[in-house]
Amino acid sequence: MPTTEDPIVHIDGISKSFGKTVALQRLDMKIRPGEFVTFLGPSGCGKSTTLRLLGGFAQPDSGRIVLGGEDVTRLPPNKRRVNMVFQDYALFPHMTVTRNITFGLELKRMTRDRIAARLDELLSFLELDAFRDRFPDQLSGGQRQRVALARALAPDPDLLLLDEPLGALDARLRAQVQLELKDIQRRTGKTFFFVTHDQDEALTMSDRIVVMNQGRVEQDGTPEDLYLRPKSRFVAEFIGETNLLSGPVRHADDGRVAIDWFGMQIEGRAFDSTPRPGDMVTAALRLEKVGFFDARPETGNAVQGRVVNRVFKGSRTAVDVRVGDAGAAILKAYVDREVPDDVWLGWDPANLAVLQD
Amino acid sequence: MTRNTRILMSIIYWAFVVYLFVPLVLMVLMGFKDSKFIGFPIKSWTLDWYIGVFRDTEVISVFVYSTTIAVASTAISLTVGTWISVLLAGRSFFGRTVIFGLTVLPAVIPGIISAISFRIFARLLGIETGMFAIIWAHAVHNVPFVALVVMARLATLPASHTEAAMDLGADRFVSFFRITLPYLKPALIGAGVFCMLLSFDDFVRSFFLGGYEPTLPVLIFSKLRSGMSPEINAIATVVLIMTAVLGIWAERSMRRMGKGT
Repeated sequence: MPTTEDPIVHIDGISKSFGKTVALQRLDMKIRPGEFVTFLGPSGCGKSTTLRLLGGFAQPDSGRIVLGGEDVTRLPPNKRRVNMVFQDYALFPHMTVTRNITFGLELKRMTRDRIAARLDELLSFLELDAFRDRFPDQLSGGQRQRVALARALAPDPDLLLLDEPLGALDARLRAQVQLELKDIQRRTGKTFFFVTHDQDEALTMSDRIVVMNQGRVEQDGTPEDLYLRPKSRFVAEFIGETNLLSGPVRHADDGRVAIDWFGMQIEGRAFDSTPRPGDMVTAALRLEKVGFFDARPETGNAVQGRVVNRVFKGSRTAVDVRVGDAGAAILKAYVDREVPDDVWLGWDPANLAVLQD
Repeated sequence: MTRNTRILMSIIYWAFVVYLFVPLVLMVLMGFKDSKFIGFPIKSWTLDWYIGVFRDTEVISVFVYSTTIAVASTAISLTVGTWISVLLAGRSFFGRTVIFGLTVLPAVIPGIISAISFRIFARLLGIETGMFAIIWAHAVHNVPFVALVVMARLATLPASHTEAAMDLGADRFVSFFRITLPYLKPALIGAGVFCMLLSFDDFVRSFFLGGYEPTLPVLIFSKLRSGMSPEINAIATVVLIMTAVLGIWAERSMRRMGKGT
């Protein structure tokens, strides 16, 4: 009997190539029941391949996929307790909303009464009651997306795959649907496997984000982990806006790393690496973690500089500050008030994350 | 475009329309002439020729015979043509181009050549001339038209639709009958009507492979040999109206169905 501690999905060293292109390199991954996991990365990073392998639309060259304790690596899609929301929704154009949703239930040979009950449940859950007799081409983008979701949830799958299902929606609707989707996931308690190249989407909805690059996992962690403690330059640059500060290590002690940055001594934290004095390292600093002071702050890192550029963005202003002796470097920052040209900048060393590469 | 060229273009267009339709109009008119000989002037009018057509048991039985051949050969063409299309769709495999070429070949072989070869082949296999042989020849001739139309439609079916069906528990069989086939419906209706008309209209193959019972074009041909009479005009007019109605219905229903997808 599987317990809640057992992974619902266990991806065990799968690799996949298309001709000479390597799509996945020995991917290992465990997903717990009820998790909202997002695979995030640029196109060609292997996230969609992983999704198709889980769905059964392709087979890995090597490795195993275990789903709910059962090895499904070679099983076709119709034999897996997995359902998918397709990027283009793939609603059947000749069927009404009702027929679309009940398609999978009929194939499971459920009784007519149970199908009707399940249909009503889903229609009210996703607020689709009014559209039950409409055809897909009579629905808006958001409604179609909900029908696709209802259809995929209907057979009560162990794992729900979502292939960039918000890509076709406009920006305003997308923000709303992100919250709805997260809410639906919470209320159903289903395991969601979401694939996207949009970092906002990933940060908003996920319990856990897996950043993929060139067929490999760059980083696997909570949205906070990825945002505040990126492991690699790729993750730091892919998610949010960031300052990258490079320089030799002066001394390192138990994760505390002092870096010589254009003659300024700054302190950061190494979370996953142990740099030694003399190593060249790069550290990431989020724009909004930089504080502005009139005089040198008493604790943490401090550098003096001169504002060289301001871009007003409504709730905040993006500011470029030239810092260091002879203005050797530029630090970007967000500020929500008026600041004079000559400023002191400071930040908590915990917010300067030393990268592995 | 200047005003003059526009006028000129529309004159040419209408002249073309007249050229197309005058023969048909003449044919229809002559069916109402109360005389055994075709030609103007029409001194008195009659419906006798039309009444004659519907009373003539030979014409009616030949009409039923031709219709049976059309329906049967169309059913075979649709099945085989769709089969080949699904086989050729999407994935490429060894021999794909060859199969495609062979599929389309019957459409470009001259009718007389294919009719003779069918005749020889039928003799070789010991197939008797008659309905079965004609159905077979029509079916083979019509498969390429079905295959081309269905392949074009199939190319627009997103792969995700059949994948979604599989994802929801359908095997390839169920996915084909519940998703692919309904999607192909407009193409199948169009191709089917076209096949029926081709079969109904065919003379050469029916002539070469026919037994004692003639198809409609063969009957008309044999009647012509004993002299042109308004009876033939009446038969032709009835056929014209029926095929036109069928064609227009098919066109309209295809357009209606094509809209949603």
